[in-house]
Amino acid sequence: MRLFMKRLISQRALVFMTVPFLIWLAIFKYLPLWGWTIAFQNYKPAKGFGDQKWVGLKQFRFMFEDDRFLLVLRNTLAMSLINFVLGFVTAIILALLLNELRNAIFKRFVQTISYLPHFISWVVAATIIQTALSADGGIINIILMNLGLINEPILWLGEGKYFWGIMGASEVWKNIGWNTIIYLAAMTTIDPAQYEAAEMDGASRLQRIWHITLPGLRPVIIVLVIMNLGQILETGFEPQYLLGNGLNVDYSENLEIFILKYGMNLGNYSLSVAAGIFKTVISIILLFSANAIAKRFGQDRLF
Amino acid sequence: MRNKKWLGSAVLATAFAVAITGCSGNNSGGGNNAPAPANEGSANAGNQNAAGGEAEKPAPVTFTYFNATANKDIETNKTMIGKKLEEQTGVNFKQEFLVGDLQTKIGTMIASNEYPDVIQPDAGIDKILDAGAFIPLNDLIDKYGPNIKRVYEPYFNLMKADDGNIYFLPFSPLVGEFKPSPTIDQGAFWIQNRVLKEAGYPQVKTLDQFVKLIEDYTVKHASEDLIGMTTLTHDWRFFATTNPPNHLAGYPNDGGVQVDVNTMEAKVYGDNDGTKRWLKTLNDLNAKGLLDKSSFVDNYDQYLAKLTSGKVLGLFDYGWQVQQAFNTVNKAGNDDLMYFPLPIVFDENTKDQYLDPPSFVNNRGIGITVSAKDPERIIQFFDNLLTDENQKLTRWGIQGETYEVDANGRLYRTPEQIEKLKDNDYSREVGISYFAYYWPMYGGGSTFPDGNAVDPGRQPEVAQASFTDAEKERLAKYNAKTYADLFAAPDDRPWYPAWSIALEQDTPAQIFTVKQTDLQKKYFAKIVLAAPDKFESVWNDYVTEYRKTPVDEYEKTMTEEIKKKVAKIQGTN
Repeated sequence: MRLFMKRLISQRALVFMTVPFLIWLAIFKYLPLWGWTIAFQNYKPAKGFGDQKWVGLKQFRFMFEDDRFLLVLRNTLAMSLINFVLGFVTAIILALLLNELRNAIFKRFVQTISYLPHFISWVVAATIIQTALSADGGIINIILMNLGLINEPILWLGEGKYFWGIMGASEVWKNIGWNTIIYLAAMTTIDPAQYEAAEMDGASRLQRIWHITLPGLRPVIIVLVIMNLGQILETGFEPQYLLGNGLNVDYSENLEIFILKYGMNLGNYSLSVAAGIFKTVISIILLFSANAIAKRFGQDRLF
Repeated sequence: MRNKKWLGSAVLATAFAVAITGCSGNNSGGGNNAPAPANEGSANAGNQNAAGGEAEKPAPVTFTYFNATANKDIETNKTMIGKKLEEQTGVNFKQEFLVGDLQTKIGTMIASNEYPDVIQPDAGIDKILDAGAFIPLNDLIDKYGPNIKRVYEPYFNLMKADDGNIYFLPFSPLVGEFKPSPTIDQGAFWIQNRVLKEAGYPQVKTLDQFVKLIEDYTVKHASEDLIGMTTLTHDWRFFATTNPPNHLAGYPNDGGVQVDVNTMEAKVYGDNDGTKRWLKTLNDLNAKGLLDKSSFVDNYDQYLAKLTSGKVLGLFDYGWQVQQAFNTVNKAGNDDLMYFPLPIVFDENTKDQYLDPPSFVNNRGIGITVSAKDPERIIQFFDNLLTDENQKLTRWGIQGETYEVDANGRLYRTPEQIEKLKDNDYSREVGISYFAYYWPMYGGGSTFPDGNAVDPGRQPEVAQASFTDAEKERLAKYNAKTYADLFAAPDDRPWYPAWSIALEQDTPAQIFTVKQTDLQKKYFAKIVLAAPDKFESVWNDYVTEYRKTPVDEYEKTMTEEIKKKVAKIQGTN
């Protein structure tokens, strides 16, 4: 204890510097947790805390007993996992390919093109996707028809079973360029001497990628996996909401839309908060288990 | 609601002249407020000029008025109408309009506790009321508002806040006989003119006849790649697909229920025979390849694009929802591709009820704030607005300038006047932009004692002036002057509209509304696109699911609320 105090004093400059951030954290991240009490009330805005009606676990019960909830959870997890896997694989592959390019102009060109969709808002992107997938004159159907793969246009968004695939492809199209940035940055930290040595030893290009670049990326990949696992229940809301319709609702409705429909739209804030708590708890569990696994395998990890 | 016209200028001018000379001559009060007796049009017993009640000419005064909608700021006496009103009352308003965010603006006012004299807070009205920014008008109306009383008294029960006070004057009190809008901005089945033309303009009354017409036309023009019918399902606009069975059964748009006029029992129609019949019709159309399959995946823009393409022969929708597409078609000028509204019902002897009955919107209005120094003058100004002459002035404008009167006393506008008024700057200069709405006024469907519409947009003569010759001819084939003539007059439904009834939070009735939409979004598509032999079984699945929802609670709540609302309006409790 004395040692601790002593060290604290000797590092006081650093300690003081962290104080504002701790205060910030407390005010904006911990204080709002008080709001979780709403989940156990029949919350009505503009009423004092003492005037709220306490209902115990009613909101949670409503959520877990609703027969759509399991379906919604399944959709959320499925879309999340698809995004998760596709997002990592495609971004790493593209980053590796870009890294091997020697022609700087072509590299820039590809990078810019692949970044651009990231900056399109989902509202616009959804309209582009809907138009491309349209059964009357949509480009996807035209291409497939001309290739002779299908005989008549397919209502892509009208078949629930295609929805996850469409979502996965759309996310890749939209975010692949953006996701490569961090890997490209990590690649620049790899010591060029390693490549030179490998080249001297006669390693081929693929061998260099496999034995030098990928191991060099491992710490970044692991940290990103852990962080993203924590957000597995956050599939976002806009694409599913904008592309969803009556025919694919069994595959497109996710947790966020469920909360919007039964929580916000009905003015039932308590239910929204209850769902938020549920998500947070799941996220914390996932985060800690991923971290623990990484620890067991002796890898770099988040904490 | 946004019509502006000018009436009775000559009449008014004379009346004002008399009043003003009277005033300036310091005549003792009373005598000079009578409208000039020579002018029949203006001699309404209930009316009087506000200024007339006072002995001397009122001192000029300028009040401030914040209007939470967008327009250009102005002093009303810079407009022709405002000038005349100032001459009558000595009152001028400095009008400020909303720039930026409404809630911020209102919030700032509330925080500083400083308000303009008069506010039209629009969607911010709850905040303003909660903040206690409006003064109660009851006593002021009693003392200074004979016209306000005449116009608003039937609605006093609906206007009273929980504490029994009236804090603001809404914009929709009905005066005189109710006149529906001559163009159809509400629900209708729409059919392309070429279909009617080819069939020789037959009477189309039932859904079967409507579908038959479309089918015949498509068969004859098989090579043209036509779409028989399409239907809008996107997002919240999905009601365009769920509401038709209600209209087909002869009910107005009451939301999710059909209300019996006599017993006021509310019944859902989401799973009744009418809905089944409607879906069966769509299912048949689909089986014959006449229904646009993409209906159930298209978004609103794709839907509008389809209507604009001219390929779609028929549809059901609300006028306001398809107006932009229709405008584009009309602009292109191909009469054949324009759409004609029809009040289609299930059975020959059902009376259609597509037109909205009059309804009273009691959560929008204009009020006087606690900061106002001279509420008496303001309420007198309001009262003065509510005379027949001044309603004519503020809505129609100035005779010879923005409207004319024919030999029979009917008000109309020449095509040039209509064209001219489309220019916003001109409309502002006259003052119609500022006075036609957002003041104490006769509501939208009101009529003057002489039968003219208060709102020029509802005057058949004005509507007709904007019709093309082809349109007029076609209407004549159906013995109609305006599109509204094709439709039956709305029955009196005091609770209307039932969809505005707010359901209490977290109740089964409220949950039902979400569940119903969810179910219908999922099943309607399935049912319609099902193979005809599967129709029954998918429909039965749907009904089973539907009955699992708290539908009984919903019907019970709606019935209670409707009865409550009617009782309130009729003042029986």
